[in-house]
Amino acid sequence: MIRPILHRVAQALLVALMVGVLTFALMRSLPGDMAWRVAAGRYGYDITDAAVMEQVRQSLALDQPAALALLSWFGDLLRLDLGVSLISELPVVDEIAHQLGASVTLALTALLLSVLLGPPLGVLAGLRPGGGLDRALFALSITLRALPQFVIGLLLIYGLAIVFGLLPASGHGEAGHVVLPALTLAIGLAAVSCRVARDATVAVTTSGYYRFGETKGLRPLDNFLRHGLRNIAVPIVTYLGVQLVYLIEGVVVVETLFAWPGIGHALVHAILARDVPMIQGTALVMGLMFVLLNAGVDVMCGALDPRRRTS
Amino acid sequence: MIRLSRGQWAGVALLLLLALFALGVPQVVPGDPTRQSLSNALLPPGGPFLFGTDPFGRDMLLRLAAAVRLSLGIALLTTALAGVIGVALGVLAGACGGWVDRALCGVADTLLALPGLLLVLLLVAIAPGRFWPLYLGVSLVLWVEYFRMTRAAALRIAASPAVEASRLLGFGPFYRFRRHYWPELAPITLTVGAFGSATSVMSVAALGFVNVGVRPPTPELGQMMIELMPYYNEAPLILAQPILVVVLLVLALNLIAGGKTQ
Amino acid sequence: MTVLIEADGLAVDGLDSIVRPTALRVRAGVPFTILGETGSGKSLLAQAIAGTLPDGLAARGRVRINGRDVLGLSHADKRRHLWGRAIAILPQEPWLALDPTARAASQVWEGFTRILNLPRRAAGAATEQALRSLGLDDAARKLPGQLSGGMAQRVAFVAARAGGAPIVIADEPTKGLDATRRDDAVDLLKTGMGTTGGLLVISHDIAVPKRLGGEVAIMLKGRIIESGPVDQVLSNPRHDYTRRLLAADPAAWPEQPTAPVGDRLIEVEGLAKSRGGRTLFRDLSFTLHRGEIIGVVGPSGCGKSSLGDLLLGVIAPDGGTIRRNSSWPALRFQKVWQDPPAAFAPQLTLRTALGDLVRRHGLAWDRVPPLMDRLGLSTALLDRPPGGISGGELQRFSLLRTLLLDPVFLFADEPTSRLDLITQQEIVGLMRGVARETGCGLLLVSHDHALINRVADRVIAIGPQSDLVSPQLPSSNIASSAAS
Repeated sequence: MIRPILHRVAQALLVALMVGVLTFALMRSLPGDMAWRVAAGRYGYDITDAAVMEQVRQSLALDQPAALALLSWFGDLLRLDLGVSLISELPVVDEIAHQLGASVTLALTALLLSVLLGPPLGVLAGLRPGGGLDRALFALSITLRALPQFVIGLLLIYGLAIVFGLLPASGHGEAGHVVLPALTLAIGLAAVSCRVARDATVAVTTSGYYRFGETKGLRPLDNFLRHGLRNIAVPIVTYLGVQLVYLIEGVVVVETLFAWPGIGHALVHAILARDVPMIQGTALVMGLMFVLLNAGVDVMCGALDPRRRTS
Repeated sequence: MIRLSRGQWAGVALLLLLALFALGVPQVVPGDPTRQSLSNALLPPGGPFLFGTDPFGRDMLLRLAAAVRLSLGIALLTTALAGVIGVALGVLAGACGGWVDRALCGVADTLLALPGLLLVLLLVAIAPGRFWPLYLGVSLVLWVEYFRMTRAAALRIAASPAVEASRLLGFGPFYRFRRHYWPELAPITLTVGAFGSATSVMSVAALGFVNVGVRPPTPELGQMMIELMPYYNEAPLILAQPILVVVLLVLALNLIAGGKTQ
Repeated sequence: MTVLIEADGLAVDGLDSIVRPTALRVRAGVPFTILGETGSGKSLLAQAIAGTLPDGLAARGRVRINGRDVLGLSHADKRRHLWGRAIAILPQEPWLALDPTARAASQVWEGFTRILNLPRRAAGAATEQALRSLGLDDAARKLPGQLSGGMAQRVAFVAARAGGAPIVIADEPTKGLDATRRDDAVDLLKTGMGTTGGLLVISHDIAVPKRLGGEVAIMLKGRIIESGPVDQVLSNPRHDYTRRLLAADPAAWPEQPTAPVGDRLIEVEGLAKSRGGRTLFRDLSFTLHRGEIIGVVGPSGCGKSSLGDLLLGVIAPDGGTIRRNSSWPALRFQKVWQDPPAAFAPQLTLRTALGDLVRRHGLAWDRVPPLMDRLGLSTALLDRPPGGISGGELQRFSLLRTLLLDPVFLFADEPTSRLDLITQQEIVGLMRGVARETGCGLLLVSHDHALINRVADRVIAIGPQSDLVSPQLPSSNIASSAAS
């Protein structure tokens, strides 16, 4: 159990490294006065004061070689000193604290919905490969996978919110508001996870041990519960780790589409405004959220698959 | 060497049709996809403009063709770049093993630490409106997939008696690549390449959709959607066009990749 | 004696795998073995009786189990009801038949609760008792991946029989086992049967019916060509194929004269090798001469193959020296692999593969046809991929491609362990002939002591870890005088 934890800690450090290097490059590519605002904002100084400017200059090591400046940039990053937003002039940490809740709600709701939609249908299809449900689900899955998330979102808005007026298309605060964006993400996730579940089901039900369960004399339901379910669940949960990439990317797009006040939305806005501290903060937190969710998948895999615990 | 299934042929046919559309339209219908004409705004399809016009009176037919050229161009370039690098390094890692393998896997793991779109977004933020961050970002994301798949296959092939036999029989590394590795890697490369192209098309469209990708007035599918979205009621057929084209592009590429999950 | 299984006119219809109408009787307390080679239809026959035929194949005729007609059972469910209760079906490869994510005890326990409907605690006690009776106390809490092959086999046996079925059907229960573990598995089946149970075993290995006793049926091309008590059939075969099969058993091969000793080819002194922290062998010294055949025997995983790879220079020794006679280039030291299809690039036709080799070394294609003739290969096979011909034919091609390079040393790593008996005899005969005629030194690795004893001039036995190696073990043919 030590190795996977170390692996995720290393991944978290890599996320910080990548975000740090890229945002540092971003800051250096900005016109001079923008860089001053970044620096000054972090220290809360009034940049009209020449003496203070000199102080900032020295403390930020902006006139020093890039390598040293990068080091001090990382120092701030690792202390989670993320600075102040250039737009709102509020500390980045405070802004993100507000947005994080909204994004986590969205991501977890989407994940839950996708798990309720995809795997059960996939298992049913896999129990009768080549049957009607299997073929219908295959066609549906390949069509849905050809739809980018924003297209799924547009179609849902058009269908559910505009034509039928069932759900609010955008907004935040009420329970109903989370349904459309979460469903958008969940449909994309389920389109893939139902195929994974279907293939896993076929592999398990044609395996030597499933056959042995039958010839041992177990009733079909007993055999499915005792030897099918767990073995089917392992690849599905493992694949969930791969799908997290899609989830995090989807959060960026879907939050923008539905004007959902989360981190993805904030990241896009920050990029448009070239608000470097906010870009750094939001990208870092999204990256860490990715690592954390992956760690959650690790834990679930460990709980499901005893082989992971013994090896 | 690679036998295509019926679904894959359907994908190839659909992709060829889209490419024909993208390259053929400017030959048949001369004009500038960025020229505005406010008196011709939001004309329905079938009139003087075959596919209608957008809110700025620009010809949708020309814009769609240009947007498909852009998407396919980026996809082709990034996939080819990522493919050559990814396959070469994957075979190198799988066949050599040892520290070469560990070093290359370390690089791949580093890139995988961050979800791909975040990486692309950060690169795009450094040079907004330019093309190179798009190429670089998408290629960086894509080569890892080539690398991982190729490496896994190469590891298996390198350990096979057939490769050991080939070495004992006096064949060199190039022969082994051509006769032992490539025949097994080719279908993998095709699948990863088609999925990678689909990823590239979707990433570029997603960036356009959130307004940080290719800058207007260059026609880009995601951006066209976001521009046309407010007119869903007045001109649904115009809004449907870029959506349909993205879907057909991704569908064609997914079909070529095959019906498998990954 | 009670007849437990009774089949009459039993046939399996399918595309190319067919069993002709067949009759057999399995009696209580008398083991029954169906012996045949790959593709003879022996497994299909057993599956037709057990009701486990793959989709697309149908059985017709009549099968009675315990006097009840089972083929006529209308519903699959009723047929299913026999499994575990009337017949226990042992899987071919037990390590694949155990659920990889469930502990051994639970896979046995479910038979007691779900089929015999024992209460939880009684089932637990029964499980413990059943496992202990086969020395599996330690295995109870383990996952299948942590069990050795032999333990997995015993766990599968206990699990299959937990439902209390008196009749056991076992398809190739000794597949992939070395001689000692094979005998253990056969004894286990025999003891399990007792005096009232039934036992139907499918095998390609003559040693199985020999050890099991009872009755044997010889199967060829979908037909039982001969059957009766084991003693009678094996000592006095009536059918020509049975005679050839018995003659192909290495134990029955004629004694061969030994070779006159040629030039020194490879000298090995104080050789040591370990793998994964475990010493495979050390202080191993011997000399291989041209035209000489050295056999290597030992249990699986003992390092037999590593020894050959060391001589070839494919892997490096941990200690000691290997001196190869420098008169010959490395190219003339060659190898033949255990699994023929794995040793060829799967997409190339044999013509292309051989053509590449001929071109690479500037040879003439003219040399190929006579060699094919010598090895009994038809030219029609050249245009097929490796997967399109039989294992025996492909192994001849592996021999052929090494012969094109005029080898002075050949390392044959279990070259016939995946082949049928008669094919094995042919291939080993060819290798022996090559060694004698061309003066090529042969290092032949096998788990089959009888085979090595018949073919090798000298034998190296690599033992379990405790008594690492005895390079001077006298072979059946000559004493160890030449072993240095």
